[in-house]
Amino acid sequence: MKKFLKHIAYGFFFFILVNLIILLKYEYPAYKAIKNRTHKNYLKWNSIQKNTNTYDLIILGSSRVYTGFNPRVIDSGLNLKSFNMGTSAQDIAESYHSLVEILEFQKPKYVALEAYLELSDDVHDYYQIFSNASFFKSSKNKFDLVINGYGNNGVANYCIPLMKFNNYMKQDVISIFSTKPKKTPETNWYKGFLKDTVIITQKQIKTFKPIANFSNTSFNKERFKTYFNKIYELTKAKGIKLIALRTPYPPTRLNLNNNNDEGNFYKNYMSTYKDVEYFDLNTYKTKDFKFKDEDFSDYHHANYWGAQKISQQLIDIIKTNPK
Amino acid sequence: MLFNSLEFFIFLPIVFALYWAIGSKRINQQNLLIAIASYVFYGWWDWRFLFLILFSSLVDYTVGLKLNSQEKPSKRKTYLWISICVNLGFLGFFKYYNFFIDSLVDSFTFFGGELSVNTLNIILPVGISFYTFQTLSYTIDVYNKKLEPTKDFLGFMAFVSFFPQLVAGPIERATNLLPQFHKKREFIYVQAVDGLRQVLWGLFKKVVIADNCAQHANAIFNNYEDYSGSTLLLGAFFFAFQIYGDFSGYSDIAIGISRLFGFNLKRNFAFPYFSRDIAEFWRRWHISLSTWFRDYLYIPLGGSRGGIKMKIRNTFIIFIVSGFWHGANWTFVVWGALNALYFLPLLLLNKNRVNTNLVAEGKYLPTLKELSQMTITFFITLIAWVFFRADNVTVAFSYTINIFTSKLFTIPEIFPFTIIGLLSLFVFIEWLGRSGEYAIEKIDVMKKPIRWSFYMLLIIIIFMFTGEQQEFIYFQF
Repeated sequence: MKKFLKHIAYGFFFFILVNLIILLKYEYPAYKAIKNRTHKNYLKWNSIQKNTNTYDLIILGSSRVYTGFNPRVIDSGLNLKSFNMGTSAQDIAESYHSLVEILEFQKPKYVALEAYLELSDDVHDYYQIFSNASFFKSSKNKFDLVINGYGNNGVANYCIPLMKFNNYMKQDVISIFSTKPKKTPETNWYKGFLKDTVIITQKQIKTFKPIANFSNTSFNKERFKTYFNKIYELTKAKGIKLIALRTPYPPTRLNLNNNNDEGNFYKNYMSTYKDVEYFDLNTYKTKDFKFKDEDFSDYHHANYWGAQKISQQLIDIIKTNPK
Repeated sequence: MLFNSLEFFIFLPIVFALYWAIGSKRINQQNLLIAIASYVFYGWWDWRFLFLILFSSLVDYTVGLKLNSQEKPSKRKTYLWISICVNLGFLGFFKYYNFFIDSLVDSFTFFGGELSVNTLNIILPVGISFYTFQTLSYTIDVYNKKLEPTKDFLGFMAFVSFFPQLVAGPIERATNLLPQFHKKREFIYVQAVDGLRQVLWGLFKKVVIADNCAQHANAIFNNYEDYSGSTLLLGAFFFAFQIYGDFSGYSDIAIGISRLFGFNLKRNFAFPYFSRDIAEFWRRWHISLSTWFRDYLYIPLGGSRGGIKMKIRNTFIIFIVSGFWHGANWTFVVWGALNALYFLPLLLLNKNRVNTNLVAEGKYLPTLKELSQMTITFFITLIAWVFFRADNVTVAFSYTINIFTSKLFTIPEIFPFTIIGLLSLFVFIEWLGRSGEYAIEKIDVMKKPIRWSFYMLLIIIIFMFTGEQQEFIYFQF
């Protein structure tokens, strides 16, 4: 038994060692970026936490939000101050806990929340989630996000770097064999918005796959309902107008099949809330805001030109539905 | 509690430490601990169904004792039928009630009639098909006087609810497992290390192979109308590895954990995808279920001893019942019937026991003949898996037809290189280790640094490729 336990202890030691090496490899660049004040989440949270009670409009969602809503356009169109709090792979629980944190420092009039099936699926990018949460000032909020938001999986991913960084490690392994040039990190940020001037190629358009629906994603309805309701209650209690927005897709991709699970679900679900406005930006005033594939940088992220249209849509929505 | 969950990683070391702290001389206390741990393990999912296991254990324990004290054949038969009715009654109610009601209503509708019977909102108790078969084997063996009934209820409870194999097998025979609860279990270093190694390999199969294949298989099966024949074939291929990785992975973990506690469970999988014909496949796939049906259904029905008609009848019965055991859906029945059709020619031509040895024994590569035999067997199994996986029979037929009519020889729309790479590595390791009980059993002969590096690599891959956590498929059976 002693020999067995000794070997188990050795194995455990090696396991910890491997995890420490991985932690160093992946967290050190983030640590350096924070030190140099270039870390995107750090910059976002720093703006929110330092400029107290400044922003009138907060936009929450995934990377599709931070490439889609340009505060420069929105602010000049609405004569208010907005901030884009979209973060990579943000999920609905993260949106809620981010909002809890934001409301400690800001008193916005509006909160715009992205309505996107993958915002509430069962696949989580824990590194991005925990990176975002690491800038929360409230430890309780951080703790609640990990424990309530992701349960045991969250705890395991929080504690074991091998799990937390597994997507990045996979990408690194794949990149050894890949001929694709490495993407340089984005640097052109303004109030949480990423100015992306890349235009999708015809080759990429040809490889489009149908958008998320109930069959090809693990959309977790209950999870969405729980957290959406929490967001709703929170905004209602603070007298904030909540707007839900389905962000647009390249039209060619949208037309790949007739499945509109995403649009139908949000439309029907949001109609149960009297004081929540829901808009599908794919179909919102198409005469004035017609999207084309070239308004996107890839299969679902808007580029700078797409963001102009999306931001104008939001201006129009708030102007025509002020209360 | 899932084997690949955080709860289990905490639960197992605690039970392990307590078990060996009690000491191998205190068999009853160890059995009590196993029973408690098993009930906690099962109750973690839904404590209400613990009463079902307890009741099943009580009935079979009592029937066993009654069978022993009764010599009158008619009375003995009555006791046997009590056990059969209770066990199959639970199974029938929880698993098949709604299916029979739906089928009855459908039949009436088909013939123009109308029948209004409500189905019930029944939760299927996890692993019910496994533990009911295990307890049934005890009663039948006692009835057939192959086994002395136990007078130790605690040991019997621990045998029925033994947590490593409670919810997804292997379906242990009382003749093999029950006596192990009555004798001293020693901690043997080599056995424990071997058990851990098998657990590691099982986790690799489940977490890396099955869960990652599941994501692609689900995407393809759920949207099969959108894909070309080549992608659909790949979807079936992914499902074949999903179910193999999932189920054999579970068995490996179960067997491995049992070894940590000093128990030896029977082998459940023997590299089935290296089979050269369907008969060999069925000797290598879910061995504990196949042999259960063979011993308690096929042989009592006359087996292959009778004429052609009897052989055909028995073959169809055993395969269809085996299909139906998997679930209350016509897809499983068709899957069973399809396998019967594959198997029958071999049986009728008396060629069902041609390939009983190990393929390419002692060689690195198979011959061209063996390779083509393995490919054909794998391919026909793949087609059968479509029926196993599809939501209904219509979808299964449509899926199969689409494989052959819709661009079979084009590049698949989905081709995840990483997963294909992992699968290639997996098949390679399985091929190299096919003479062992499980693929990496023989790694023991390698030098320590190589061995440890390999284990660490496996652990890194397991964490790196942890896919979307999926329940074990066989939990639902």
